[in-house]
Amino acid sequence: MSSPEPDKDRVIADLKRQVAKLQAEVAVLQTANARMNKERIEYLQNVSHQLVAPLNAIKWHIENLTSSRIGLDRAKKVLRSIYSQATIAVHLAKNFVFMSNLEADHSLSALREPLELVQLDRLLVNLADDFQPLGWNKEIDIHVDTKGFYNVPDVLAIKPLISQVFSNIIENALKYSKKTSVIEVEGRYVPADDSVVVTISNEGIPLEPGEVARIFERGYRTKEATNAYPAGTGFGLYIAKKIMDIHEGSILVESPRSGRAVFHVVLFVKKLQGKAREWPKKPSS
Amino acid sequence: MAQKTVLLIDDEQGFLEALADALESEGYRVLTASSGEEGLRIAAAEKVDLVTVDVMMPPGRSLEDRLSSLTTGVYIVKELRKSFPKLPIFCLSVITDEPTIREIERSGGRFFRKGETSLKHMLATIHSALTGTVRSGYTIHRWST
Repeated sequence: MSSPEPDKDRVIADLKRQVAKLQAEVAVLQTANARMNKERIEYLQNVSHQLVAPLNAIKWHIENLTSSRIGLDRAKKVLRSIYSQATIAVHLAKNFVFMSNLEADHSLSALREPLELVQLDRLLVNLADDFQPLGWNKEIDIHVDTKGFYNVPDVLAIKPLISQVFSNIIENALKYSKKTSVIEVEGRYVPADDSVVVTISNEGIPLEPGEVARIFERGYRTKEATNAYPAGTGFGLYIAKKIMDIHEGSILVESPRSGRAVFHVVLFVKKLQGKAREWPKKPSS
Repeated sequence: MAQKTVLLIDDEQGFLEALADALESEGYRVLTASSGEEGLRIAAAEKVDLVTVDVMMPPGRSLEDRLSSLTTGVYIVKELRKSFPKLPIFCLSVITDEPTIREIERSGGRFFRKGETSLKHMLATIHSALTGTVRSGYTIHRWST
């Protein structure tokens, strides 16, 4: 008859191995959790920093306005600055809403408003007007080639989402453009596949081929971009790409030798027509 | 009294405009720089009486490799302090951790949190540092190096 002791020892050794294995797995999970917590804290710090900066500038501008010595010309200048800073704050806040929704749901279903026909040149001119004051300091002009849009039909899209795609590209272009330069916004209709291509280009930081491939990744920022503007999040183009995926369109970037960064946004005029019924209906007013 | 010159080094346009506007309306000459590199160049070339520095901002191409682990603002404080031992240097930031604040203060700068400092208080503090006098209604520690 065999003794039960060797079996007991084997069971204990086996249990010890399993405990060690579980401890190693727990350690891996703890490390991953600590990394995620660190990333979350850094993200929140970055978000706070970016939002507080324009809000604080607005606060100081208002203090300037309430000063007793202010004249009309100075007041106008201060109000223009308040408008620019408010534009930045609203733009950033929208991006953070998109990001928090994307973290939970990659199809952004909570933000899907009804599809509608969007007149792209009007949308882009309005955005250019909104963002132009941010370029004054560096003497950067945003030029929308409205003539080029004459043959561009309206496209079926979710307007607030598409608007954010263009806002993110234009805001980036303003941040990274050279002083005294022009951001060109052009549009053309491509009958072959019934698509519209909106091209936004600026003269600024050239992109290396390796960077072009990664620029739509979540949180990715090129070294040059980080040096030029340390407080960025690297979320703008990631959000733009996700929104274009929802529209079954595309967003492409090229960086020719001329040093211009060129973004092409491709939207299909009627591709989503059959899907309009599946999406929320526009409430009747 | 001769007109005093204040150099503002910050890449946040809104902040720069608000402070520059207020200082100019108080009779100061204001110079601005949007990177650390530009700020140091102006400080070396002009007679500057006080400098404000953003802690987190672009260093500028020539400083990129010199920062080591320092933030741009801390590096600028250290560099300015080498050349100008008595120059009042105010560091401003929305968010800065405690070790960085301590490093700024050890290097001879004074830290202000942007979101918590009113423009009126900032102007009074700058006035105090430049004239050695305190405006009525304010309790401000005199600047000393």
